[in-house]
Amino acid sequence: MPAVDLQMEALERSASRRKTFYRWLLFLILGVFAIYYLAPMYVMIVTSFKSMEEIRKGNLMMLPKEFLLDAWKIAWGGRGYDAGDVFLRPFFWNSTKMVVPAVVISTFLGAINGYILTKWRFKGDNIIFLLFLFGCFIPYQAILLPMARTLGALGISNSITGLVLVHSVYGLSFTTLFFRNYYVSIPDEMIKAARIDGAGFFKIFFKVLLPISAPIIVVTVIWQFTNIWNDFLFGSSFSFGEAAPIQVALNNMVLTSTSVKQYNVDMAAAFIAGFPTLVVYILAGKYFIRGLTAGSVKG
Amino acid sequence: MATLEARNLTKNFGSTRVLRQVNLDVSDGEFIVLLGPSGCGKSTLLNMIAGLESVDEGDIRIDDYVVNKVEPKDRNIAMVFQSYALYPAMTVRENIIFGLKQRKVSKEQTEKSLSHFSKMLQVDQLLDRKPAQLSGGQRQRVAMGRALVREPQIFLFDEPLSNLDAKLRVEMRREIKKLHEQLGTTMIYVTHDQIEAMSLATRIAVMNEGIIQQIGTPQEIYDKPNSVFVADFVGSPSINLVPGKLEKNGKGFNFVPDQQPDGFNIPINGYAFENSPQEGQPVILGLRPEHINLSNTFQDAHLDLELKPTLIELTGYEQNVTFDFQGHEVTGRLPRNAQAELGSPLSLSLDLSEISLFDKETSFRI
Repeated sequence: MPAVDLQMEALERSASRRKTFYRWLLFLILGVFAIYYLAPMYVMIVTSFKSMEEIRKGNLMMLPKEFLLDAWKIAWGGRGYDAGDVFLRPFFWNSTKMVVPAVVISTFLGAINGYILTKWRFKGDNIIFLLFLFGCFIPYQAILLPMARTLGALGISNSITGLVLVHSVYGLSFTTLFFRNYYVSIPDEMIKAARIDGAGFFKIFFKVLLPISAPIIVVTVIWQFTNIWNDFLFGSSFSFGEAAPIQVALNNMVLTSTSVKQYNVDMAAAFIAGFPTLVVYILAGKYFIRGLTAGSVKG
Repeated sequence: MATLEARNLTKNFGSTRVLRQVNLDVSDGEFIVLLGPSGCGKSTLLNMIAGLESVDEGDIRIDDYVVNKVEPKDRNIAMVFQSYALYPAMTVRENIIFGLKQRKVSKEQTEKSLSHFSKMLQVDQLLDRKPAQLSGGQRQRVAMGRALVREPQIFLFDEPLSNLDAKLRVEMRREIKKLHEQLGTTMIYVTHDQIEAMSLATRIAVMNEGIIQQIGTPQEIYDKPNSVFVADFVGSPSINLVPGKLEKNGKGFNFVPDQQPDGFNIPINGYAFENSPQEGQPVILGLRPEHINLSNTFQDAHLDLELKPTLIELTGYEQNVTFDFQGHEVTGRLPRNAQAELGSPLSLSLDLSEISLFDKETSFRI
């Protein structure tokens, strides 16, 4: 018997040793990739705090000798010239005015669509859903011309309102898909119970379904916010000058500098343009992963 | 308090015929159980009564008023679901009074009903909790509270106990029965569990393939099943079914099992035929396990024979013993002190006053 015990002990020891080894290997690989992916952001941030002098002479990876905020000030508020001075502040607010209504509208309509497609089934609802799904695969480029004509006909081309419309419509396929897949996993009996209790179409939606939709709302908001905030093609196609969103302004700012490339200003500007999506991810990223899998696992 | 009437109800889902010409009469205060295997149309029938499914053909009347086109909320019914279907975002209190709120019942009346029924169902300590914080049994109580508080004319139950564990199921079953005795409200209850059906119902409607096979008191259904399906579906362990044919024997008939080499037969003189039997008619004989017992158990008409046990299952109170009977398996319910041993013949007695005979072709009772 003791011989067997010893043998078991040896097996257990070697198993635990192997486990520790693989654990460390795992961390090592993850660490390498984390550094690899974070390196560009690191370069961006350190460069934005350096003076042009230091950028020209120094190493890309070095920390700045002293942290200068000048580049950030210029990127955000400009140099104070009258002409040819592009800076991000007004366009940041353009983007905000575009992204908030577009996200709210597309998320809300997606939720209603998902609700109808799962809980108020009708003849041909599957075909409608298929068409929505099809909408997810239409590339941005394909709708540029028809959309331009539509905006023109509506008299809202080159305006924030126009961009809100474009993004709401384009995002609808995705938001509908998200909410539909989430609501499919919610038992129909809950809706039946509410109908017997005397609640109508909207009451059931607002009182019963919406309060339990937080995970999928977070997913949809992150998805829509990121796409709309980062969009360049629609922004540059349907707006110019003062009505442009921040990504277009960033492009203009970086490309129109006539003299020497101001790398520190460019980096600061790029960071400002990317900052809001970063914040949204950090605040709600946890729900994002959870919500993306919720519908599929339970479904 | 209400009566319910279903006339020639038909329902199709695409090309599938879910209900075919179903007729059902429920009098005031009855507890009707719709019993059947899954896919027999029982839940569809209940949903149609509730107004959650449309009616393709036929009429549903509540208190002689056709309600085919009436919204669920206006039918004065309440329903309890298998998945409880509580609103996850609301507290127990909000769940229970949600229906009253929609009906704009006064605050005073709402509070009164809430406290009355939450005490009755012993959920008055849980009112501020969310459904996720409740156990399965508590959730079911809350779901019943939500139905009760509305004080409807008819209660509908859609397999309300199927998600509970065995012990809790028995407990809740007893409470539903007590509830019916207290309130005296008309109740319609869907289940596939024949024990639930037997213990709760004033009448059982056994359904299969979209039609009601038989409707009657639990005793009628159990003792005088009108088809092989009903006989086989109700009762556990299942009824013994042996195919054979009828042979004239003077004034009466004998039952001769198939594949019978030595002229063995069962005299069935005492059987009350519903249809006139024919000489040589192929039939199926049904005999419940409790009517096969040790010899000298039965006083009335009985048949003694010796059979070899092939399987012995102890249930605690008694034992279910399976025998080889002319190549068929038959099961008897024997007292636990019966000395049954695999392979050694046992002296048994069949209670001939309790047999059922079915026509082999139509599978209906004769």
